[in-house]
Amino acid sequence: MLDAPAPDDLGAAGHLAAAVASGRLSALDVVEATLARIRKRDRLLNAFTAVTERRALDRARGLDEARRGGKRLGPLAGVPFAVKNLFDIAGLATLAGSKINRQNQPAVRDATLIERLEVAGGVLVGALNMGEYAYDFTGENIHYGPSRNPHDLKRMTGGSSGGSGAAVAGGLVPLALGSDTNGSIRVPSSCCGIFGLKPTYGRLSRARTFPFVASLDHVGPMARHVKDLVLAYDAMQGFDPDDPACANRAAQPVAPLLEQGAEGLRIAVAGGYFKSRGAEALQAIDRLAIALGVNREMDIPRAERARSAAFLITASEGASLHLDRLRRQAKDYDPAVRDRLIAGAMVPASLVLKAHKFRRWYREEILKLFADVDVILAPATPCTAPLIGQQTFMFGDREIPVRANLGVYTQPISFIGLPVAAVPVPLSPLPVAVQIIAAPWREDVALRVAYALEANGVASAPRPMM
Amino acid sequence: MKRKSNRKSRSGRAKKTGRSRFEVFAPRQARVHDTVDALVKASAQALGISLDPAWREGIGFNLRLILRHAKLVDQFALPDRTEPALVFYA
Repeated sequence: MLDAPAPDDLGAAGHLAAAVASGRLSALDVVEATLARIRKRDRLLNAFTAVTERRALDRARGLDEARRGGKRLGPLAGVPFAVKNLFDIAGLATLAGSKINRQNQPAVRDATLIERLEVAGGVLVGALNMGEYAYDFTGENIHYGPSRNPHDLKRMTGGSSGGSGAAVAGGLVPLALGSDTNGSIRVPSSCCGIFGLKPTYGRLSRARTFPFVASLDHVGPMARHVKDLVLAYDAMQGFDPDDPACANRAAQPVAPLLEQGAEGLRIAVAGGYFKSRGAEALQAIDRLAIALGVNREMDIPRAERARSAAFLITASEGASLHLDRLRRQAKDYDPAVRDRLIAGAMVPASLVLKAHKFRRWYREEILKLFADVDVILAPATPCTAPLIGQQTFMFGDREIPVRANLGVYTQPISFIGLPVAAVPVPLSPLPVAVQIIAAPWREDVALRVAYALEANGVASAPRPMM
Repeated sequence: MKRKSNRKSRSGRAKKTGRSRFEVFAPRQARVHDTVDALVKASAQALGISLDPAWREGIGFNLRLILRHAKLVDQFALPDRTEPALVFYA
C-alpha cells in the first residue's frame, strides 16, 4: 500500500507556492521530493508514462535563482504538476494513450496550458497515463497498463484522465491537467475522490493537445483542494488564437470570489434521469443537499436523449478523426477502442446531423432553467470505482457495461458545454463525486459552492489507503 | 389455416431468393442483427477498412449500440429551421 502523501499544509499547491515565493522552501527541494515520491509510488499506481526529471530540475533551479535575484515569483511558484499525455510536451511524442503515436515526431512546443502554468511558476514533472485516444471511462490501457486507484489498487481510476486521477489522489503531484469530452475529468475525479473542473466549452485553450471530438473536447485542472483548482484555472484563462474554439473573452479570475461561498445562490438537485439508481451516488447527493439546505428538485428535460446525442456525435466525430489510421493500422489499436471507432465510421451522417440539431434545441431548453437556479447538483458517476477488468455494473435493476456507461450522468452536461466542478464526497470505503453544474461562463458559481462544501468538511479528497 | 398458407408462400419466396429458412422466419432481433452485420461488411468495403473477420462481432455490437442511441435522437421531431450546433458556442 501507499505511503502517506505530503501533509496537507505542504501538499497543497497554494501553500507550496507561498513557501517557495517567500524562500521558506526552495523550488528545487519541492521538485526533488516530488520526483522521489513519483519514483516510489508510481510503481504501484502506474500514473506516469514519462517523467520529465531533467526539465523539472532545471526549471526549479531557474525559479530559485530568479527569486534570489529579487524577481517576484508567480502564484504557482515551484508547484509541481503533470499533464495527461495528450498535451504536447516539447521533446516528447504526444501519445494520447496510444501505441500508434509513439512513431510520431516529438512535439516542438508545449501545449498552451503548460506554458501558462509555467508562466505562473509551475514546474512540469511529467506526462500521465490515459485511456487510448480518450475514448474511455475506465482508466485502463492495453499498451501501458491500467492506472490504479490509490484508495484500492485493485480498482479503476476511471477515465480517460486516469493517470491524472491517480497522480493527484495518490499525492504524487498536487495538480494535474486532464481533458473531458464526455466526462473524462469528472469520472476519474469521482472514482479517485478529488476535485476536478470541466470549464465552459471554449473557456480554456486546447491548443497543442491531441483531439478526440472537436465539438465536445474540453480541458481542465484536477486537484485535492478547491483553492488549488482555482489557482490553476485562473492562471490558464484567456483567449488563445491557436484554438479555433477558444472564446475571445477576458479572463474572469475566481480566486477573489471564493470566500463568497454558496450564500445567496439558488440551488436545486437534478431529478428525473439523474435521480440516481446507485446507493452511493444517492448518499453523496443527499449529504451535499443537506449541507447546502437544498430541498428543491429540478428536471433536466430530455437528458437521456442528450446523452444519446452525445454518444452519437462522439462515435462519428471520433471515427472521422481516426479514419486514415484505421485504414492503415487498425491492428495497432486497443481492440475495444478500434471496434468502437470502426462502428462510428459507419453511422449515417443524416443521423449525426440530427444529433447536432438536437443539441441546439437542448441547449436552449437548459439555459431557460438557469433563469430559476444558479446551480444544479447531479451525480458524477452512478457508482464508486469498479474493479479493474470489471465489464459490467448494476444500474438499478439492470446490468450494464462499465466502459460505455460510467459517464451516463456526465454526458448530458458536457454535451452543451456547461461548466462543472466535480466535488468528492468521502464515503467509506470509497469516495464518489457530485457534479456542481452552473450556467455557461459561471465557473465562479460552481467553484464557490465547491469551496463552501470543502470548507465545512462535507466534500474533501480523502487520503489514500496506507 | 390462413397462417399456414402464408408460411408456405414465404418459404417459397425463400427458395426463390436463395435465403435460408432460418433467415426468413428469424425473429425481428435476429433480422436486425443480420442487417447490421451486412452494413458492417459493406461499409468497411466502401470506407476502405480491411476487417479481420474476428473483429466483426465487436464492431457489430458497437454499431447496434450506437444505432439504438441514434433512434432515440431520430424520434425527436425538430423544426426544419433548427440550426445544427456543429461547433458549439456557449
